[in-house]
Amino acid sequence: MGFLDTLVKRLSPGGYTQQSKHAAKERLKLALTYDRGGLAQGTIEQLRDEIIQVIAKHLAINEDEIEIHFDRTSEQDKLIASIPLRMPSRTRAKGGQATTTATKAPTQSRKK
Amino acid sequence: MAGRVITVTSGKGGVGKTTFSANVSAALAALGKRAVAVDTDVGLRNLDIVMGLENRIVYDLVDVVEGRCRLQKAIIRDKRIATLHMLPAAQTRDKSAVTPDAMEKICAELRSQFDFTIVDSPAGIESGFQNAIAGADEVVIVTTPHVSAIRDADRVIGLLEAAEKQQIHLVINRLQPEMVRRGDMLDISDILDILAIELLGIIPEDECIVVSSNRGELAALHATSPAGQAYKNIARRLLGEDVPVLPVEEDRGLLKRLARLFKGQ
Repeated sequence: MGFLDTLVKRLSPGGYTQQSKHAAKERLKLALTYDRGGLAQGTIEQLRDEIIQVIAKHLAINEDEIEIHFDRTSEQDKLIASIPLRMPSRTRAKGGQATTTATKAPTQSRKK
Repeated sequence: MAGRVITVTSGKGGVGKTTFSANVSAALAALGKRAVAVDTDVGLRNLDIVMGLENRIVYDLVDVVEGRCRLQKAIIRDKRIATLHMLPAAQTRDKSAVTPDAMEKICAELRSQFDFTIVDSPAGIESGFQNAIAGADEVVIVTTPHVSAIRDADRVIGLLEAAEKQQIHLVINRLQPEMVRRGDMLDISDILDILAIELLGIIPEDECIVVSSNRGELAALHATSPAGQAYKNIARRLLGEDVPVLPVEEDRGLLKRLARLFKGQ
């Protein structure tokens, strides 16, 4: 990094790149969710495939737009799934999509 | 007399367990408490050299466990502070020479003689760690603001909870206020949010730690060392005093003040 880059980064509020502590925190939270739950890497992908299979039996869904991730707070660990539905055309409202969101607590969480 | 047995552990190596054990024992002793620091890192002993007592070892922990000498004979009394003591680990043996049962017995004996028994644990979560926590009434987890140390600390907290250790305190070591200020180091609230245990203290990065250990001196006995002051504060908190966990003092140099001015802070 050149002197000018360094200077610009130093003088702009917070720096023009994101502060690295946010990356540290997000990466730690995800790693600890796996550690604490004793989950294998790849669990999310497997979950995703199985959830698609189950829901697709009953509902038309947009497979490409499914989002599944873990969320950790000091109170609770959550699995958050956002599964956009493809609505049948005759009931389709303006906008054309509905979203169902499921949450569950996959792992025990420590209390303060 | 029923003293407190406090084990110092971390999971990750090199985060400052031994420095913490040596300095908090010294700070407690300087406050008039009878304190003994116990090295349980059999085969890789270091507490002796950090405390400047490496030339005074005759017997060690394994000699006591195997009945070659009485506990009293293995304990070294510090010449700087009359109430400070150290029980060294063996250097030529491995961790299998000590068992959790043996450590529990030794801790029980030390508890009856000392106000504070500070047990310095080896790194890792194997047998040496299990030995170190066997006799503990309380546990201090030392971490640094680095992702690797925090992840290991979390793992150790899980193991301590499984072992039904009720009192677990956190110490954040080697904090660099300038890096925290510019958002390039996890801050105290980030770490507490992730680990969710009670905070006992914060120790700033301080060159005095290296200089003191070079000389076999203890930073906690220095008047001017910022880390030494942090260790003294931790000792007072362990005694029940309400010492605020102050934000670590920043360097107030002219250049840094100018830099802050530019950034509108």
